[in-house]
Amino acid sequence: MRESTPDVREARRMLAKGIVIAGVGETEQGLLPGRGSFQLLAEATKLTLDDAGITLADVDGLVTAFSFVEHTLMHATTFGDYLGMEPGYFASVSVGGATAPLMAVQAAMAIDAGLAEAVLCVRGDNTRSGISSSGMIAMAREMSHGAYEAPYGLTTIGGYGLLAQRYMYEHNVPQEALAAVVATQSEHAALKWNAMLRDVVTIDDVMADRWIATPFHAMDCSLVSDGACAFLVTTAARAKDMRSKPVYIAGVGEGYSHQYITSAKSVDGVRQGLGRAGRRAMEVAGIGPSDLDVVEIYDSFSFTPLIALEGFGICGPGEAGDWVLEGNAKLGGKLPMNTHGGLIRQAHLGAMHHIVEAALQLRGEADDTGNGGGNHQVPDAKLALTNGSGGILAATSALVLSSEAPSA
Amino acid sequence: MSETTAKPRYEKPLPDMRPEGDPFWAGTKEHKLLLPAGDDGKPFWYPRAYRPGTLEPIQWIESKGEGTVYTYSTHFIGPSKAYKGDPPHIVALVDLDDGVRMMTNLVRDEEGYPSLDPDAVSIGMRVRVVFHDVTDEITLPKFVPAD
Repeated sequence: MRESTPDVREARRMLAKGIVIAGVGETEQGLLPGRGSFQLLAEATKLTLDDAGITLADVDGLVTAFSFVEHTLMHATTFGDYLGMEPGYFASVSVGGATAPLMAVQAAMAIDAGLAEAVLCVRGDNTRSGISSSGMIAMAREMSHGAYEAPYGLTTIGGYGLLAQRYMYEHNVPQEALAAVVATQSEHAALKWNAMLRDVVTIDDVMADRWIATPFHAMDCSLVSDGACAFLVTTAARAKDMRSKPVYIAGVGEGYSHQYITSAKSVDGVRQGLGRAGRRAMEVAGIGPSDLDVVEIYDSFSFTPLIALEGFGICGPGEAGDWVLEGNAKLGGKLPMNTHGGLIRQAHLGAMHHIVEAALQLRGEADDTGNGGGNHQVPDAKLALTNGSGGILAATSALVLSSEAPSA
Repeated sequence: MSETTAKPRYEKPLPDMRPEGDPFWAGTKEHKLLLPAGDDGKPFWYPRAYRPGTLEPIQWIESKGEGTVYTYSTHFIGPSKAYKGDPPHIVALVDLDDGVRMMTNLVRDEEGYPSLDPDAVSIGMRVRVVFHDVTDEITLPKFVPAD
């Protein structure tokens, strides 16, 4: 292993203690009227505690995110009150789509600092059924600069579109490459018990779909869903007494190059900025792209995983589209990606489902045959890379998860 | 009672006004494109109270308003109901010759500022600024193909 910087050594020191995901839970996803935001969070909490074989009294840390529906300045403690718990450690994380991996990092740091030993990380919302049309408009404007972008009618979709069209221009990437991401993930979602879209679509289906903002058809865009998802972070020592097989956090990393898309300097600047998250997570884990068995890559749009795959060094610059077109990202391919269908086909809860799916893969439990789905298990998966990106490919956080304890 | 032909109410998003942007909007109202710049005259975008990176005081310089399309996205759906029924609008990032990149709309001409036909747009095309008075108070700089 090549000489590492002090920050990488420090991250390794923390993770060598054995920080694990010892339980996961995901509710149904889709249109779930009649269930409020906190109710969904509580449901995911219960599923996760049951998976770990513990009770609420065993949890001493609570990390939550934010809600588009339940507006509260203090999300973690408001939900803690709802649950009837008094955690010794609490935090609300709010970095858009980068939130979920950062929740895991927050939990790991709290455990490392001795602030807590069993930290519940939970995120969910009734975004689809609970949000008003003015709320949707506010959301659409959220990622624009209020003075110098919003007046031009920019949408979040179009913001990604600006970068995607430049990427396609610079690297001569065909529209089919974006559609191949959707088609690939539709095959995976067909096997995931709680995916909103279970039908398999082809590249031609995606190409024939209606335009939203170029280069994106409707099917290139992520879903809006109700649902919740949670995972429990604890020590390997504590997990010995728990029910499920623990999955180790073996690497963590973050990267950032801009907030407003106008401020993004170049396609390669964005690629390297967000790519740092995955490259650093792999460096901390002491692995490289060829060691990975499965990847759950943030997919707000079909284009999103392409530039991330390149930034993480899994593909060369401009080569991810061909890589997906060649079938490498499919189950049975070289490196299966988004084996749960992702934000485009399963549901949108930031990167929560990406983490849960990665954990299930490494536990060998990604077979939903008995649960209304099908087998989407990657045989013998031991190492996974997962990430989330907030804003328009702005803040990114990545985790390497491993079925085995990291070597110190 | 005087006869006035009131402009139809402008329902699309208007800029959030912040004090550090006031000189810019005062400039566009006079159909001038002013850019914030550092002590050395090198412009940056978007307007801030201090030069980003160095936090020096700023000055304003006038741009000729000529540049190149860096990228664009044709929006078939806008961010609010006010866009319903409109033809697609083109959101673009334009690299001004002054060395900054700004967001804008690409429009055909100054007769009502209709959106440029998506087929007429390409990355790298030369464009020049026009000033669209959307309300009595606010003028948005937009861009048309350079002749």
